[in-house]
Amino acid sequence: MKRMLLSLLLLTLVTLSGCVPRDLNKQEKFLAASPRSILVIPVVNQSVDVTAADYMLSTLSIPLAERGYYVFPINAVKRVLEEDGLSDSSLVHSSSASKLANLFGADAVLYVVVERWDAKYMVLTTTVTVAIYYQIRDGKTDEVLWENREQMVYQPKDAGNAGGGPAGLIAMLVVKAVQAAVTKAAPNYMPLAHQANAKALLTYPGKGIPRGPYAPVEQKN
Amino acid sequence: MISTTKYLFVILLLFSLIGCGAHTRYNWSNYDTKMYSHYKNPSEREQFVQALKEILDYAEPEGKVPPGIYAEYGFVLYEEGNNQQAVIYFQKEADKWPESRAFMTKLIAMANNRTKNQKESTKLPVGPEADTGKNVTKQPSEVSK
Repeated sequence: MKRMLLSLLLLTLVTLSGCVPRDLNKQEKFLAASPRSILVIPVVNQSVDVTAADYMLSTLSIPLAERGYYVFPINAVKRVLEEDGLSDSSLVHSSSASKLANLFGADAVLYVVVERWDAKYMVLTTTVTVAIYYQIRDGKTDEVLWENREQMVYQPKDAGNAGGGPAGLIAMLVVKAVQAAVTKAAPNYMPLAHQANAKALLTYPGKGIPRGPYAPVEQKN
Repeated sequence: MISTTKYLFVILLLFSLIGCGAHTRYNWSNYDTKMYSHYKNPSEREQFVQALKEILDYAEPEGKVPPGIYAEYGFVLYEEGNNQQAVIYFQKEADKWPESRAFMTKLIAMANNRTKNQKESTKLPVGPEADTGKNVTKQPSEVSK
């Protein structure tokens, strides 16, 4: 009974802390700049998978817009930059935020780097890893307003017990091996990318970014 | 007593799940999936154009068009050479999102410029007969440079 009450209390605390900006000062630079619009530029890829950058890029608009910011059209921006001779994303990233922001009239620029995007086969299991670095810079002052890094790992769930005895064990090993091979052959990175975004951008208070002008304000002191 | 606490517990749990949860502000119609399948198969352009149009078809009646989508659609129209339609969508983006205005002004100028150039180049050899579409929008003043 006591335990019940205690967990109830805990849950209440969690519920309350979840929605109330507790440590407003944590993102004070970001809050001081209070950008309305975020320019998402092409992603730099440091992983071994050549498709990672474009896949990652396509996941960024939704969380940022839902967070309340105007997000520039990622594909149009990408194409315009390409026409300006910036088809290599690392070239774009070496440009200053103020220069890029000025080109599009943006308040802030989001630089994203894919650090890991791989599937590693290890005895009877495959581990899929996505690691992303995020940084938002001020479009006028070039100052870093916010940064975060997130790593997500996925491992297929255990195949479970296929009954006792050596036959069951072999069956289980076969199932696991097949599972690992399937995961390895077609690793699904997207859920991990979405999770990384959610964790990196949306946990606020915490390390995420504050709500933007289009998000209904719950509490803004 | 225990059962009341249990109820409270369940209700509170529900609240904690719903309270801050994701009811989306905009109607995205899988924008992310559409975008990455475009990057995966860039040759299937027709599908991509259609996919963007679809987002607008669903989101517009509900007034839940996400930021950037009018512009995204306008831009593929521009790339298709459909300059006048492109301008209409750039203008829609600019009207809906003031943050986009500087960029949209540039894109509109780009599209209008191309319309003008096309007209001139078709007029020169053919003469006065070719004047199919009226100028839909006026050339906006160059705001940003």
